[in-house]
Amino acid sequence: MAHIHVPAEVSVCYLPRSRKANLLILAFIVVGVVSFYIRWRQDPQAAWISYITNWLYFTSVSMGGLLLAIATWITKAKWNWSMRRVNQSFVAFLPLSFLLVLPMLSLGESYFPWIEMMAGDPVVQKKSAYLNMPFLIVRNILGLAALFGVALYFVYLALRPDMGLTDQRTEAGGKSEEAWRARLTRGWMGQEKEQVRSYKRMTTIAPVFVIMYAVVMTMLSYDWIMSLEPHWFSTMLGPWFFMGAFWAGIAATALWSMYLRTQHEDFHRHIGLQQRHDIGKLAFGFCVFWTYLFFSQYIVIWYGKLPWEQAWIVRRSDEVWGGLSGLVILLCFVIPFAGLIGRKPKTKPVLLAFFTSVILVGMWLERYVMLAPSLHHEGDPVFTIWQPLIGLMFLGLYLGSVRWFLTTFPAIQVWQPMVDPETREAEIPAGFATD
Amino acid sequence: MTGDRSREEPLFRPLTAWRPKLILGSLFTGAVAALLFYSWGYQIRNDIGVAGINRPVFWGFYITNFVFWIGISHAGTLISAILRVTSAEWRRPVTRCAEAITVFALLIGGLFPLIHLGRPWLFWFMIPLPNHRGLWPNFRSPLVWDITAIGTYLIGSILYLLLPLLPDLAILRDRHTADNPDSARARIYRFIALGWRGTAQQWHSLESGIRALAVIIIPVAVSVHTIVSWDFSMTLQPMWHSTIFGPYFVVGAIYSGIAVLMVTMYLLRRGMGLESYLNDKVFNNLGLLFLAFTLIWGYFTFAEHLTVWYGNEPSEMAVFTERISGKYARIFWAMVLLNVAVPVLVLSFPRGRKPWLTAIVGVGVLIGMWIERFIIVVGTLSLPRLDFTVGSYQPTWVELGILVGSFGCFALLYLVFVQIAPIVSIWEVREGDHHLNQVHSATEHPVLETT
Repeated sequence: MAHIHVPAEVSVCYLPRSRKANLLILAFIVVGVVSFYIRWRQDPQAAWISYITNWLYFTSVSMGGLLLAIATWITKAKWNWSMRRVNQSFVAFLPLSFLLVLPMLSLGESYFPWIEMMAGDPVVQKKSAYLNMPFLIVRNILGLAALFGVALYFVYLALRPDMGLTDQRTEAGGKSEEAWRARLTRGWMGQEKEQVRSYKRMTTIAPVFVIMYAVVMTMLSYDWIMSLEPHWFSTMLGPWFFMGAFWAGIAATALWSMYLRTQHEDFHRHIGLQQRHDIGKLAFGFCVFWTYLFFSQYIVIWYGKLPWEQAWIVRRSDEVWGGLSGLVILLCFVIPFAGLIGRKPKTKPVLLAFFTSVILVGMWLERYVMLAPSLHHEGDPVFTIWQPLIGLMFLGLYLGSVRWFLTTFPAIQVWQPMVDPETREAEIPAGFATD
Repeated sequence: MTGDRSREEPLFRPLTAWRPKLILGSLFTGAVAALLFYSWGYQIRNDIGVAGINRPVFWGFYITNFVFWIGISHAGTLISAILRVTSAEWRRPVTRCAEAITVFALLIGGLFPLIHLGRPWLFWFMIPLPNHRGLWPNFRSPLVWDITAIGTYLIGSILYLLLPLLPDLAILRDRHTADNPDSARARIYRFIALGWRGTAQQWHSLESGIRALAVIIIPVAVSVHTIVSWDFSMTLQPMWHSTIFGPYFVVGAIYSGIAVLMVTMYLLRRGMGLESYLNDKVFNNLGLLFLAFTLIWGYFTFAEHLTVWYGNEPSEMAVFTERISGKYARIFWAMVLLNVAVPVLVLSFPRGRKPWLTAIVGVGVLIGMWIERFIIVVGTLSLPRLDFTVGSYQPTWVELGILVGSFGCFALLYLVFVQIAPIVSIWEVREGDHHLNQVHSATEHPVLETT
């Protein structure tokens, strides 16, 4: 309940460029691509499982981060004023994500078991209205294009007013920055007008994004997870999937922010106690929420014991997969719950970074355990080194794109809209402390 | 503490003297409430057969009402707790009337399982005590979980209502004592104010108590409707056995809770002249929250039906088709209209978030949410998985009387409460005014006007 101080004038700062980081990212991508190729030669299905789980994960993280940016925009939150841009920067991965989904859509019966089952399985035949390749391809392309489009437009609107405020000040001014500045300032109407326009439009499209997020993410979870065991269905899967994505986005935001703090003095100052405490609270709250959703689904299936329904749970808790599933619960519930419950771990950067990393690893495994057991062949190992190796390609692309964004555009939003006094009055300097 | 004291007068009016309007209202709602007890008495005397419930629809209006009223009870505590935890400043005039809704709706909701019992005097079988044969209740039964969760919630929300009430009771005590120290009112308030003096220590304890309760009550409230949903989803009945039911019910509960809050606030504002507290801004903000829950509820309903259609399991599809295009189609689409189409169309626009409009939308949502529970309860039971017992359900006058009477009961309890305690938390509003003065003097940033 502390007072949130948004400085009237935010200094312009960028994430410093780093050749070392670029090389490392490049190495990640190369190792990832080579690993995928090798694995694909060995066992195409296993390679694609790794590819798709990693795609789902990194798309989840990016979308979750954007959802945080947009949800805090809708609620007119101010505490995250210095972290808005971190969320927005995740948008840079979306065009890549869209390109990366295209090869997944070309997979046929080698990947989707229901294509083959359609011939002789009456249960699957009943689902033909939803489970057919043309519809799957169309809904994925249209859904993702629309969702990513809205997200990109939202971030475009958020960036535009900053261009007017950073015009003379920037020293980074490389060629690419100038090109982007030219693109972003096309049809410039003047600072005041631009700000009002951005504010209004962002407020209008934000709820649209949230609705689309829920629907499209539900669809992704049905297409890429639920349909792999065509007899199984669970009404909870969609919400569970996209709330997990939101949580991963929150954790990633916290981690990026803690990283930024080490990179520049301005970040260090602005990502203060208030910001860390609040993002820590969100990370903790969503830990409880994830567990609630997970448990609500689990107990209903466990209690019902319907054969076609519990098969999904049984497969993930038998001796083959049980260990990995247990690890997911450890990483997604036990450790973050116990670790983040107090005030200190939320506010201490090292601890916050540690526990959010645990969450991110947990969510990465969670996406894998959601998907991989459905296509698992008896006798195959449940987890191989290829899974993280192929993940390096996605990690590299994600890190590279977000880093590019944060080095090109101001990494703390310069334009800070002042919202109406009714929300401002909430923050009263009662025992207020800053770092 | 500063504040506009003349603004507080409408709050004190019903507390200092008998108001004819309120007395008449209480008598009228009391008469409606009597309908519940008359019908129930009739049912106890003539046995449960006088109700329309029969094989296979064992759960008719009663369980629908149970879920409905327990849902409404999420108005108060949850909304007020969420707004407190996030320190939303506009909550101040809203919290008390929301918290009161919780307690009264819970009391009424908790009555329905008893009404539903053929022999209500055996209700104590549900309490975790061994009976005379040393048998314990079945702890694997969600009904036992229900009792535990609802009991916890009732205790928690009574505390949560009473705790922030203390300073206000002390204000009343002082007022009445100043008028006439020997009057009955003065004595009563002296007793129930529990010796509140407003010392720094007391304020400190009160504030940390409220803060702790607000945090604790949120998981409790969520668990209550999750467990109510498990009464359904733990069975194997088509379209009950659905993994989403926990959060779906919780969202529906909060949604109907906001609807009741909207209607109640509007009536309070009109009836008691509380325009200066429950002003347009409060309705606007609550209207936005209402809209958010419209969308969340809409999404959950969509996810539930999409998945059932995707799953295409024969017995589920039978229930599904009855809903979409069969016997229940008319009320199902009425529900969609009232719960999604109308709220979205009205509440999306600032003009639609005017008090009277939000109240009308609220009434619509209440009807819609009642229909939702009715479709869930009766729609599935009339088409169970074992289809040799397919049947239908027709409520009798007893069930209708109890339904109508329950609204009377709720209104009566509320009207009585209004005459005992200020329905707007006086000290919290004063505190808010105090803060506002501080902030206004500190404001230096240009303000971008928003609607």
